Amino acid sequence: MSKDALDRLLWEAKKIVGRCDRCGTCLPACPLFEAKNVEASGARGKNVIARALAEGGLDPTPEMLAKVNFCLLCRACVDTCPGGIATDEAMINVRQYLVNKTGDRNAKYRVIGGFLKSRALVRLAATTLALLRKGGLNGLFPHGMVPEEYTRAHFLAAFSGPAALGEKAPPSDVALTAATRVAYFQGCGMRMMFPEAAAQTLEILKTSTNPQVKDNFCCGLPHLAHGLRDEFLELARKNIRIYQDADVVVCDCASCGGTLKHLASYFPCDPRWKDRSAAFSGKVMDLTEYLAKTGYEPRRKLDTTFTYHDPCHLGRGQGINIQPRELLRAAGKFVEMKEADVCCGGAGSFHLDYPGIASRILDKKRVNIEKTGAAIVVTGCPGCLIQLAKAAKAGGGKFKAMHISQVI
Amino acid sequence: MIREDIKKKICGLVGAENVLDSDLDRFGYSYDASFVPLLPAKKPDLVVRPATTEEVSKIMAVAYEHTIPVTPRGAASGRTGGSIPVQGGISMSLERMMKIIELDLKNMMVWAEAGLRTIDLYNACAAKGLFYPPDPASWKFSTIGGNVAENAGGMRAVKYGVTSDYVMGLEVVLSDGTVLKTGGKAIKNVTGYNLTSLFTGSEGTLGIITKVLLRVIPMPEKRGTLQLMFRTLDEGCETIHRMLQSGLVPAAAELMDRFCLEAVAKHRKTELDQAIGACIIIEIDDDDDEGLAMQTKRIEAVAQDCGVYRFRVAQSKQESDDLWAVRRGLSSAIASLVPNRIGEDISVPRDAFPEVVRRISSIALKHKLTIAVYGHAGDGNIHPSILCDLSKPGEEERVNNAVSEIFEAALAVGGTLSGEHGIGITKKPYITKALGEAGVKALKAVKLALDPKGILNPGKIW
Repeated sequence: MSKDALDRLLWEAKKIVGRCDRCGTCLPACPLFEAKNVEASGARGKNVIARALAEGGLDPTPEMLAKVNFCLLCRACVDTCPGGIATDEAMINVRQYLVNKTGDRNAKYRVIGGFLKSRALVRLAATTLALLRKGGLNGLFPHGMVPEEYTRAHFLAAFSGPAALGEKAPPSDVALTAATRVAYFQGCGMRMMFPEAAAQTLEILKTSTNPQVKDNFCCGLPHLAHGLRDEFLELARKNIRIYQDADVVVCDCASCGGTLKHLASYFPCDPRWKDRSAAFSGKVMDLTEYLAKTGYEPRRKLDTTFTYHDPCHLGRGQGINIQPRELLRAAGKFVEMKEADVCCGGAGSFHLDYPGIASRILDKKRVNIEKTGAAIVVTGCPGCLIQLAKAAKAGGGKFKAMHISQVI
Repeated sequence: MIREDIKKKICGLVGAENVLDSDLDRFGYSYDASFVPLLPAKKPDLVVRPATTEEVSKIMAVAYEHTIPVTPRGAASGRTGGSIPVQGGISMSLERMMKIIELDLKNMMVWAEAGLRTIDLYNACAAKGLFYPPDPASWKFSTIGGNVAENAGGMRAVKYGVTSDYVMGLEVVLSDGTVLKTGGKAIKNVTGYNLTSLFTGSEGTLGIITKVLLRVIPMPEKRGTLQLMFRTLDEGCETIHRMLQSGLVPAAAELMDRFCLEAVAKHRKTELDQAIGACIIIEIDDDDDEGLAMQTKRIEAVAQDCGVYRFRVAQSKQESDDLWAVRRGLSSAIASLVPNRIGEDISVPRDAFPEVVRRISSIALKHKLTIAVYGHAGDGNIHPSILCDLSKPGEEERVNNAVSEIFEAALAVGGTLSGEHGIGITKKPYITKALGEAGVKALKAVKLALDPKGILNPGKIW
């Protein structure tokens, strides 16, 4: 990355954090501040570090990179801030700046990022994980790297009564919109961790259209979040090309969707790609957003109680809160949980980097889920689902965790 | 710098995990919510996070022995630099002391540790039908210890008073580590000097408040929110005067000028009616809906007499929360519009409110500055905010002159420098003007008696 580009990143970050007046409103909103309770772990602390860096009061160091990496990018602070200060955007910029300034310190993310950049490797991993799961070996991996997947077949078997066993769900009577070319964007998380849920997404889409299935690339968020911006941009350009002939791009991963909807802001100095990316972003829809628009009716209504966890990148990231709840109400009984929109602690690879803090955050989520008495906690993001599957296991079977496409 | 052996000793007292000494961690404890410049950073040499009074006491004994400055800290949401460790030393962060020790329903009093968030105290009381009224704008994140140390005010002061009106007793660790208890649950108590009052608002310069005993009152049954729009600020002020004189005491009456409303409109991406010059948000409380309706009716009549432009009654809790969120987030919303916001906190006799606002307008004009004005119209506490860009040549001097003149205006009408933020660092230069030589000398005498080595929050107030 050129010096100019780097300076620009820092300038962009300063423009954001320079408006923070350090009032502290974000402190109770930040899940990490609650878990660790040290100034630098909260949104205010990280914003002020970024500002001091930009103003020359602090030097770029590996310690600083570690501090700014300690952020869920969950936007809870942005929502509560009276000035609407976008801490997540500032953190992404500062991470990139620090990665370049401090050298090859983010080696781990470079490896993960390189892996996710390759479609072949992601596919290979998906196969391997499926085999591990099949062989019951997933428990050998730490921190839920290979989460258990509770399938729609399990769901129907457990919740629809014995008569429904093996019976095919009746088709939904949503009219096909023939003219619209609908394509599916399959994120790495869905591909590798939750293939059964991804298959259900396609089944649902097939009730109203003939979805195009593309061999897409990673959305690039893991790269963007950890200082690999060039790789992110490269992936974005590839995906934009791949979806050129689609009118709608449906995504069943909150993080992918949130990233794909915001591409244009990352091509500020590239007029050609700025327009193309803006046009592409305009086509992206979350699955529940798409279904609400087409008037989708769940394939069957069961006597089951759901509760819903808002993925940060869907609720705050895309303003989608109502649609998934409406779908769940139509598919069964729905109970709201306390703090449904508080981050589950997953946050991409955060739960792998800070398992202790992530599990403390998750414990609170688990208690909130259990209090609803719901049989199933539903969400729309594989990252969250990994965490929620862990919570379900820790809860000893009181509830199951499932992707929304598995239950509607 | 603190010697390694002393650091080790402190680690032994509170556990190494509760002592922070990395550069960035210390940086995190070098600022608060004031406009004191971030750089150069006023980093403490050590951040210590005790969990008990005993630990605080032992740390103070060590600090006293080695003459190490100690600055107590809650959530660092103060607006005047009170928790900034200007002379380094130890930042004593009380954020781990957050227990409610006793909720005494019979006496209607509560003992709480200093690091408890004010909102958590409020909610714990509310769950038992009790009401802790003081509500500084920061009440959702500031700590009760910080509120007491700064004698924080809030929106409800017009009817319910400020923090000190509720403090019945304190547990304070003195500079040498002695633990002192003041006051108690007896409502009448004239035994000795009123030390509770002395420590309340002492800004961490006399002792470290570790526990507070607060009285609470029965929770009002019903609350309502009204929004009154006026063409001029004077009409708004007049409405509040007439209300109070006729015995209509709102729980809160907050005034915002045209500029504030424009800032809010900008954030919410809405258009502001050109005719509106000021807005008052009023909270009323009563025993039942009938009482609320009666108060609303009477307030509306007064407001109509004073020429109210629009009168709106919040119809739901959501609507009233929205109206109050606008006011609570106002200072930060305004701050985010400009590179620098210098917020002041003058307090004047209630009847001087319009006069001092007029003077502030002419100060703004004279120095070619934008000054947004909002505040607690019900109690005469005004927050003029100078919106500026200190990086512009000459701007800083003009701002400083304007600040001096704002203070002069407040003093001239019989008011004072600070209503609820404290003096801290930012108002230090003006203290003698406000209190006189004799006043400052008396403060210093008290300080010397309680903190002979001058290690507690040094460099503040004067």
